[in-house]
Amino acid sequence: MSLDPYRKGQFVSQLIMTVDDSPSMRMLLRAALTDMGYRVLEAEDGVHALDTLEGVTADTVPDLVITDINMPRMDGFGLIEALRRQPDRRNLPILVLTTESSDEKKARAREAGATGWIVKPFNPEKLAAAIRRVLH
Amino acid sequence: MAQQSPPPFTPPPLTRLAHRDGLRRINVIQGETRVSQDKDVVLTTVLGSCISACLYDPIAGIGGLNHFLLAEPGVAETDPKSMQRYGVYAMEVLINAMMALGAQRHSLKARLFGGAMMRDGFRDIGSANAQFARRFLADERIALVGEDVGGVSARRVEFRPALGLARCRHVTDTALPPPPRAARPAPPPPPAATGDVEFF
Repeated sequence: MSLDPYRKGQFVSQLIMTVDDSPSMRMLLRAALTDMGYRVLEAEDGVHALDTLEGVTADTVPDLVITDINMPRMDGFGLIEALRRQPDRRNLPILVLTTESSDEKKARAREAGATGWIVKPFNPEKLAAAIRRVLH
Repeated sequence: MAQQSPPPFTPPPLTRLAHRDGLRRINVIQGETRVSQDKDVVLTTVLGSCISACLYDPIAGIGGLNHFLLAEPGVAETDPKSMQRYGVYAMEVLINAMMALGAQRHSLKARLFGGAMMRDGFRDIGSANAQFARRFLADERIALVGEDVGGVSARRVEFRPALGLARCRHVTDTALPPPPRAARPAPPPPPAATGDVEFF
């Protein structure tokens, strides 16, 4: 897949924020997402994500957040809850991408307001399909 | 390091303790991850081309090891990117389990073992495994304090996670069983619903 500005009728590619404490994981996601034609904004934990979002300008407002769960300082649950408390981020799609797959943790993410749950290691085709579904 | 006897770096206390009652030896097979903060626990594993990362947090006294091959158990995806995603996953499972016990990511130190070139039908996956693990540690800024990787012989690793002490012996005796492989007789369960997406 390559960047096609006419894909889905958009001229500026959509922006995805990835939140993960592992630099290796962020690199893998960046590679996969840029291959899909998206722009990527990175944060290394929940606190960093919130700080980054506070300073965004009009063209750096993410269209989607993909967040890990287990992170220092503020985990994925905390981040989702904090974002849902912000009136302008109530409808921002948030996908959880994690090694966890327990029903209890999924239920917690759903209650916090997550849009979906993806189990690592991610499969790029399934990830692309999930992103297309929540972005449109 | 190809010495066979005496073992290359054997701390004397470990030699004595390793055979004394009271130490719990836990064998870790391919696809598994174990962590502990118990000073009496010894994690053991036998490696061929697989790699084992022994991570520990010397401040918290928490450690653990994994045992993986750069390919997802039971999945035929072997392109470099899928293998890398699986390796990152295997390392993350270990790091998360340690952090759940109270380890700090920035305190972690690592030893790497395995990655031999075995005559087991694989191309030199061992060296790819070792390269991946080194690269991962560098990217994650985790200090690599020791390693014994590559070569052509299997290894038997003993790691005391709470103390960060490891020893690795090369296994060249043909009477020894080959390193257990996930494919048989007991495949570890692949991560449930890997890559699957569930919408709320």
